[in-house]
Amino acid sequence: MAEMKEISPNAPAGAKLLNWVDNRFPLSKLYNDHLGQYYAPKNFNFFYIFGGLATLVLVIQIVTGIFLVMNYKPDAALAFGSVEYIMRDVPWGWLIRYMHSTGASAFFIVIYMHMFRGLIYGSYRKPRELVWLFGCGIFLCLMAEAFMGYLLPWGQMSYWGAQVIVNLFAAVPFVGPDLALLIRGDYVVGDATLNRFFSFHVIAVPLVLLGLVAAHIIALHEVGSNNPDGVEIKATKGADGHPLDGIPFHPYYTVHDIFAVCMFLMVFTAIIFFAPEFGGYFLEYNNFIPADPFKTPLHIAPVWYFTPYYSMLRAITGEMVLVLIACVVAAAAFSVIKFKMPTIFKIVIVGAAAAVSAMMLSTDAKFWGVVIMGGAVVILFFLPWLDNCAVKSIRYRPSWHKYMYGIFVVNFIVLAYLGVQPPSAIGERISQVGTLFYFGFFLLMPWWSKVGETKTVPQRVTFVAH
Amino acid sequence: MKKIVLGLIAAVGLMVGAHANTGGIAWDKAPNNLNDVASLQNGAKTFVNYCLNCHAAAYMRFNRLKDIGLTEQQIKDNLLFSTDKVGETMKVTVDPRQSKEWFGANPPDLTVMARSRSGANGTGADYLYTYLRTFYVDDKKATGWNNLAFPNVAMPHVLWELQGKRAPIYATELVHGHETEVFKGWEQLTPGKMTPLEFDQTIGDLVGYLQWMSEPSQSKRVQVGVWVLLFLLVMTVFTWRLNAAYWKDVK
Amino acid sequence: MSDTLAGARPNDPSKRTWMIASSCVGIAGAAATAVPFVSTFQPSERAKAAGAAVEVDISAIKPGEKITVEWRGKPVWVVRRTPEQLAALPTLNSGLADPESKRKQDELTPIYARNVGRSIKPEYFVAVGICTHLGCSPSDKFQSGPQASLPDDWKGGFLCPCHGSTFDMAGRVFKNKPAPDNLEIPPHTYLTDSRLLIGENAKA
Repeated sequence: MAEMKEISPNAPAGAKLLNWVDNRFPLSKLYNDHLGQYYAPKNFNFFYIFGGLATLVLVIQIVTGIFLVMNYKPDAALAFGSVEYIMRDVPWGWLIRYMHSTGASAFFIVIYMHMFRGLIYGSYRKPRELVWLFGCGIFLCLMAEAFMGYLLPWGQMSYWGAQVIVNLFAAVPFVGPDLALLIRGDYVVGDATLNRFFSFHVIAVPLVLLGLVAAHIIALHEVGSNNPDGVEIKATKGADGHPLDGIPFHPYYTVHDIFAVCMFLMVFTAIIFFAPEFGGYFLEYNNFIPADPFKTPLHIAPVWYFTPYYSMLRAITGEMVLVLIACVVAAAAFSVIKFKMPTIFKIVIVGAAAAVSAMMLSTDAKFWGVVIMGGAVVILFFLPWLDNCAVKSIRYRPSWHKYMYGIFVVNFIVLAYLGVQPPSAIGERISQVGTLFYFGFFLLMPWWSKVGETKTVPQRVTFVAH
Repeated sequence: MKKIVLGLIAAVGLMVGAHANTGGIAWDKAPNNLNDVASLQNGAKTFVNYCLNCHAAAYMRFNRLKDIGLTEQQIKDNLLFSTDKVGETMKVTVDPRQSKEWFGANPPDLTVMARSRSGANGTGADYLYTYLRTFYVDDKKATGWNNLAFPNVAMPHVLWELQGKRAPIYATELVHGHETEVFKGWEQLTPGKMTPLEFDQTIGDLVGYLQWMSEPSQSKRVQVGVWVLLFLLVMTVFTWRLNAAYWKDVK
Repeated sequence: MSDTLAGARPNDPSKRTWMIASSCVGIAGAAATAVPFVSTFQPSERAKAAGAAVEVDISAIKPGEKITVEWRGKPVWVVRRTPEQLAALPTLNSGLADPESKRKQDELTPIYARNVGRSIKPEYFVAVGICTHLGCSPSDKFQSGPQASLPDDWKGGFLCPCHGSTFDMAGRVFKNKPAPDNLEIPPHTYLTDSRLLIGENAKA
């Protein structure tokens, strides 16, 4: 018999029950490690609500999704009708549908804010690299989940958006067309595609998402949260062994997050009840037309949350590929000239640059558009190793860094806006500059993050009592 | 910096996404009569009598018309043509292949038409209001009709008896340095059974009905929303004070 | 800074007040949110439309004839009984399992059918044509006299081909047959003498 903790027979029934469970399952330990005795920095600001909100939106999507699946039909002939059936014939079906469609957009707003917080406060820095990596994995899964979910209503935008994006895979040299055929399950997006996207959207990706979210939180709790000052609170502990600048997550942050949730719900429900279409951004107008494989809408654009990456995709024209080749050659030249390394490395670098340039000249610009679009997300994974600044948080970085981040945000929003517009000459130019800035921000970060004078990071966090 | 960022987000958010123009004229504003039950009922009558012959509204049930104040008996007596069960949906009996042969295109389902046509130029109702009032005689088309809001549409002017036959008047003007044909107004070729004002009103009712039909739960949605938001306001105040009660201990 | 358990039972009055207030409002909100979700389980408009009452014109049925109508996916018979068939009904009581239709009255025999002929109008018999044994649809055996699988004193009724249960012209099951109960009489009412509505009782 394992070592059991004894409890006095005079103890109240609740305590005895808890003791019975604790002897068999680490319930109290889990509660203490993650809530009651998990010490979080006391100086969290507005940007720190978004992790909790993301969990809330995940739960909302899963619950509303479960109820939608009860009445949705994943069949190309029946799907569109089944959504209208939910909207009209199922009691309160319209509310569940709007919660799910608004929740999808809300998820991305919350996640972009959550990622922005990580960016400006250096939450990805050592020892939190794994938290960031799991988070990037979640972001990728979320994009896949949203993309596949969008096919399900089987409207014009659903159909043609999927057709365009799956055809992007056809741009991969050699294996492209077969890869696209494998993904679609047919020669064009059709019933086979719908059924498999349904399975992925409802079961496969949510399971992966839940696993990644659990890993993300476990990794975070292992090292402890960062804070807006970038100060490691575990460096200054009190006599009781707890960080002096830390407070137990429960009750302080549970109560704080409940308040944040209520404010979020006000905005969320205002949209659901008063503007569920949100000007055509959350529910696109063209999607109220059933999918027609013979008629492409005049203007296809992905949903707003994909548009920054879509802009980058569209920006890679034949001309732009030449610019990219120039960048590759310049990078190779710079590294060979500037750094000391064995000659064999230099030969390899020059050879690789030549090979890549030759490849870029001989393949379709479309493929490099896909590479850039994917690269824009993948580059996030490398952020912990690109940032060489001596301090974590933007508060103590050289002042000019603030402008870099500001321009990054503006650039991202501009790329998003251009992605929604139909293509134009000036739009293309701006997207190209924007794409170069986006990649330059990350790829040159090892150097620009070291430029300028950092401010002294305090030993204790800056906190004003409420 | 946070303020600049948030301000920019707000500015972009206010910009309406542009959707490509189909090439038609600018849209008039449809009247807003979603709260006018009499207008919606009149629109329902026009819809059933003129539109359901070729178009289906396959997701709309006849008995949902009770939401705009009609009784089941009224619906059965006046509006049920293609079926005898009031719980049925507004399907159409014409074969889609035949109608495609006759018109060149299959008349689309109208249930959510008003939601699907919204764009940068206005709401779907604005488009429909303009479309239904800008048909004109055109001998070069198979149906003999053309339309200013949807050039070369395959649909004939079903309501021509009410509006009469019209032709658009163009004047050649200099626009941005180019000589362009600018639409100036209408010439009434033969009179219709209604005056232009009566016709506009009938179309206003019909478009109101189409807008209602595209989302019958919209008025309930807004009503419930008001209560939900009031409740959440109270809840937010309570949790705000709860938060403050705990955080006053944190120094 | 607070202790772990302080969150569970605040002894500070302001914390306690707001904790109670927020909890009450929160629970009410959660319950209100659950209502629409649970409501989606109720039959949808499509289910209600499909299950709606069916109107039948019975003017063309000749005496001794039966028509079958579908209601909620089930076959419903409308039989125009002859005077001989009606006269024979009371004589059969000794051979029947439940001659007064007392068993499962709420399920099988509405109030207006608790009579000799189990119908509103004696001439017209309306019943769900599903055997109460295992759900097959019994065949018409309106001819009286000896026949295969039927007793010599057969006065007309129904024979279920699956396991041999027999019913009389009022749907009452005979003794010692596999079927336990009389045939179900569905809710119905006469809108006029020739229009029968199956699926709804008469409006009060």
